[in-house]
Amino acid sequence: MTGIQGYPMTRRNDPTMKRMSERLGNYEIPLTALKDGEAGIIMSISGGGYGRRWGFEKRLADLGLTPGTRIIVVKAAPFHGPIEVLVRGSRLALGRGISDRILVKKEERCGRG
Amino acid sequence: MRKRVTIALAGNANVGKSVIFNYLTGLHQHIGNWPGKTVERAEGTLHFKGYTIDIIDLPGIYSFSTYSLEETIARRYIVTEKPDVVINVIDASILERNLFLTLQLMELETPMVIALNQMDMAKKKGIEIDVKRLEDLLGIPVVPTIAIKGIGIFQLLEKAIEVIERKVSVRPSEIRYGKEVEERIIRLAEALRNIHSPYPPRYLAIKLLEGDEEIEKEISRENPKVVALARRLARELEEIHGHDRSTIITSERYMVASRIANDVQKITTPMKPSMGELLHSITTHRILGYPIMIFSLFSMFYLTFTLGNLLSEILSEYLYGLEPLLISLLGKGIIERLIWGGIIEGIIAGVTIAIPYIAPFYLILYLLEDSGYISRIAFLMDNIMHKMGLHGKAFIPLMLGYGCNVPACLGCRIMETTRERILATFVTTLVPCAARSVIIFGLVGRFLGIEWALSLYILNITIIFVLGRLAFKILPGEPTALIMEMPDYRAPHLKTVLKQTWFRLLEFIKIAFPLIIAGSFMIKLAELLGLLRVIADFLSPVTTLWLGLPAISGIMLIFGVLRKELMLIMLATAFGTTDFASVLNPVQMLVFTIVAMFYIPCIATIAALVKELGWKGALIITTVEIIFAIMLGGVTQRILTLVFGLTK
Repeated sequence: MTGIQGYPMTRRNDPTMKRMSERLGNYEIPLTALKDGEAGIIMSISGGGYGRRWGFEKRLADLGLTPGTRIIVVKAAPFHGPIEVLVRGSRLALGRGISDRILVKKEERCGRG
Repeated sequence: MRKRVTIALAGNANVGKSVIFNYLTGLHQHIGNWPGKTVERAEGTLHFKGYTIDIIDLPGIYSFSTYSLEETIARRYIVTEKPDVVINVIDASILERNLFLTLQLMELETPMVIALNQMDMAKKKGIEIDVKRLEDLLGIPVVPTIAIKGIGIFQLLEKAIEVIERKVSVRPSEIRYGKEVEERIIRLAEALRNIHSPYPPRYLAIKLLEGDEEIEKEISRENPKVVALARRLARELEEIHGHDRSTIITSERYMVASRIANDVQKITTPMKPSMGELLHSITTHRILGYPIMIFSLFSMFYLTFTLGNLLSEILSEYLYGLEPLLISLLGKGIIERLIWGGIIEGIIAGVTIAIPYIAPFYLILYLLEDSGYISRIAFLMDNIMHKMGLHGKAFIPLMLGYGCNVPACLGCRIMETTRERILATFVTTLVPCAARSVIIFGLVGRFLGIEWALSLYILNITIIFVLGRLAFKILPGEPTALIMEMPDYRAPHLKTVLKQTWFRLLEFIKIAFPLIIAGSFMIKLAELLGLLRVIADFLSPVTTLWLGLPAISGIMLIFGVLRKELMLIMLATAFGTTDFASVLNPVQMLVFTIVAMFYIPCIATIAALVKELGWKGALIITTVEIIFAIMLGGVTQRILTLVFGLTK
């Protein structure tokens, strides 16, 4: 995972992204591809070159966003705003650009919904 | 003789640390800055059981990485100043994440006591914690507390003293990581044994594996070979785990925190959401959230101004009532007029104008902040703030700016990096504060109509966006984005809020007053020496030729540096009338107001800029704004003359 560029930015409502997350539930998808109320397991956080100066990966990790951690998307603020998540019992607001760089595996929906 | 000991409070943000601090120290506290830093340092003293205890409230942090100033300061304080005991305040309702910092404190091998705070909140969330078990697992005394009700504070202090007196045997458990990591930590720690450093060898080993830049620098001065060894070991780990080294260590540590948390807590999710939950859903709702926010902000300003007007009127009536008395005491000579007009009027102006508005504003702001609402506003506004290159948190100082630019500039400290801080501060000084609003409404609003006043506000916001965007492009460095905790809603703790308001007010007075007084003195002196006319004449090419204003307005521009609302008062004095329509045409009114809105931060704001950004930063911002305002004023004058000329 080297190079100056991160992976392409995705939009939460992008239809291809949506379809992919439905069909390939077990693939790594950005956090922004999860719908409100869905949960995922963090696989990796990588900005490529982004955020090295202010250590965004480290900041996230310090808040408990480490690989293997369960993360629940509560909701997204409107107009492409930040995303509200629950991680390790705390409620965080993460900017959209950051959320795009958090890769998760979607958790299969369990019976209780 | 009383024995003097030091206790440091450490913990995450929003865990009730400052409430505990206030309980312990009462009014015996001092709020300043860490030497050479813009991070707040709160200290206090307390007498207990024959001890004089100095209490230091360390900044709220989530970890001891060195990406933020707060974290660096807290870590350095603990290892170099070696407080007698560290009280680690942790939030019982978010145990796992709080333990992450606890583990790092343990690795620093500092004597400590844990305050397991917000037990009531945890209970509401259905979290039950086995305190004894937690104590056993960590090997550190744990005192359950509910700080906002004062529960457990006494026991906490007693326990801290016991630890200092070594009455309780404290043997912190050793933290062990996964096999591959642990092996390498031990190997490195061995190599570090003879290194001279205030940090314990094992801590150094962990930090070197993690790639902590500050520690790396420190060690490579003594023994660059160890750093090379650490890099090699870290690379091995990276190959095994497939993540970078910093992530590996952090994950490992969280694994430990998670295991402890799961071991000591039992969670039964309550059947129905709590009031706080409900309030959160509504106030961050994608539709409802915005009207609620606008209503809250509007109420805040309304309350501030109503309270401020009332206070201001009472105070000025009283203080200006002293004028005849003082003048009769002082006489009417030139020195006396200088003292009265320069110094005393300066003080009165500060007291009657600044304080009545700032005190209520701070009070309401801190009430909102303590309750948790401010972070919701930042959540809602993040996207809009991104348009000017900032993120949600910057909305708070920006909003403060509408009250007064001084606290707003100080408020820009919440931004994470220097780049963001400069950007936010710059944008903040463009916001029309209450004094500038007086000009906008008193001149344009009154004589041209409210719609003109409002369009000036719209123009202002547009310009803030444009200039913010421009500064965003010009400033070197990388933009940060929003990473923010939204703590659960809770009833604000009034005493803490009042104290915060009080100490902030003191800070404001300290920064603003000396300059307001010195400024009025200088201007009064210039006036008495007849220099004002000279300066106005000197400025007249700009004021008359370029801006199309009466020559006398040069004097107003000078007074405006002191306090913006003085410009209007001076205008009235200069023309001998408050019917400005008879002396200024509409274009002149608009140009005058626009220049007033942007041309320079007032002297108190400049002082705040110097404090936050240093002389250079303050000078650059001030110069840029003067040039910009004059350019804009001249261009507006030409456009408006054209438009008005055509319609007439």
